[in-house]
Amino acid sequence: MKILAGIITAVCLFAPLPCHAAGTPAGSVKTAHGTAVIIRDMTPVEAKSGTRVFQHDSLKTGPDGSMAIVFRDDTLLSIGPNSEVSINEFLFSPAQGKLSIVTRLIRGTAAYLSGIIGKLSPQSVRFETPVANIGIRGTKFAVQVENPAERP
Amino acid sequence: MKTSEIVLFGLAVLMCLAACSRDRCTVVLLPEPDGKTGQLLISNLGGSQLLQEPKQSTSIQSAETAPAAPAVMADQEINNIFGAALSALPSPPIHFMLYFKTGTTELTNQSQNLLVEILPAIADRNSTDVSIVGHTDRVGSREDNYRLALERALLIQKSLLSLGINPQFIEVTSHGEDNPLIITKDEIAERRNRRVEVVVR
Repeated sequence: MKILAGIITAVCLFAPLPCHAAGTPAGSVKTAHGTAVIIRDMTPVEAKSGTRVFQHDSLKTGPDGSMAIVFRDDTLLSIGPNSEVSINEFLFSPAQGKLSIVTRLIRGTAAYLSGIIGKLSPQSVRFETPVANIGIRGTKFAVQVENPAERP
Repeated sequence: MKTSEIVLFGLAVLMCLAACSRDRCTVVLLPEPDGKTGQLLISNLGGSQLLQEPKQSTSIQSAETAPAAPAVMADQEINNIFGAALSALPSPPIHFMLYFKTGTTELTNQSQNLLVEILPAIADRNSTDVSIVGHTDRVGSREDNYRLALERALLIQKSLLSLGINPQFIEVTSHGEDNPLIITKDEIAERRNRRVEVVVR
């Protein structure tokens, strides 16, 4: 564990970009309706049009909520009510050869239109759910994750 | 690992199993705005399934069960399940392509005219998020091209600021020679790759 923590710290120290929110945004909120928040370092931030989102942020909506994000590479992601999605990784620096977009739908519904990372490096795009991973070849799709036990 | 760490780790795994094991997932492939349809490969511990026809869908009952055979989903059902998320999906960002006179940091006349269309587009879309991204072709070293693309992007930033764009909206980056519009071999001059893209989101 300590060795791993050491490695992570070392990577953060020497990485050209900061590992946390202060760095380059992954994208921004285009629209937010109803209850819609961004969870950053365990703290909720109200999502409004123009709010920047970063790698490691989660997006969460309530029963009346929806939210849409435009990523730096033109990838579009929207979520419906009672939904939660996390931005696990976002790297868009073609000149440094760093390309990656990994998002995960934890619950609810999402729609997705892949962007430039999908064109430059399709293998660097991954959409995860608790029960399966989705590999994307430049396209649009919608996903639902539901837990029948939690249905109202 | 200390004993306490092992216990905590074990608890976390159990909690996850209890919470995740009942999750189910439905995926539907949709045509892109330009009418084309790509492909999705859905995979888990149980196996994988390829979706490649418009509105094909699959459902996944657990992380260990292979995705079901693809079936076309009716519009009504797509709308019932995904309507809210789909109607929230924004329109793709607009890219303005600005080109320079060869070997200069001076815009071509056509691009000079395009520059003034950017502010109205920002107002039209209520955009608060604009990127200015410099690009070059592959003549010269990667490092030099990174710097050249950045210089040109900074120049466009200056012009847009003088036209009255809100400085808080703008972010300037360089993709050097590594995000070409037209893919070429190294050291090939390509006019269409020597550009600054202004992305209005």
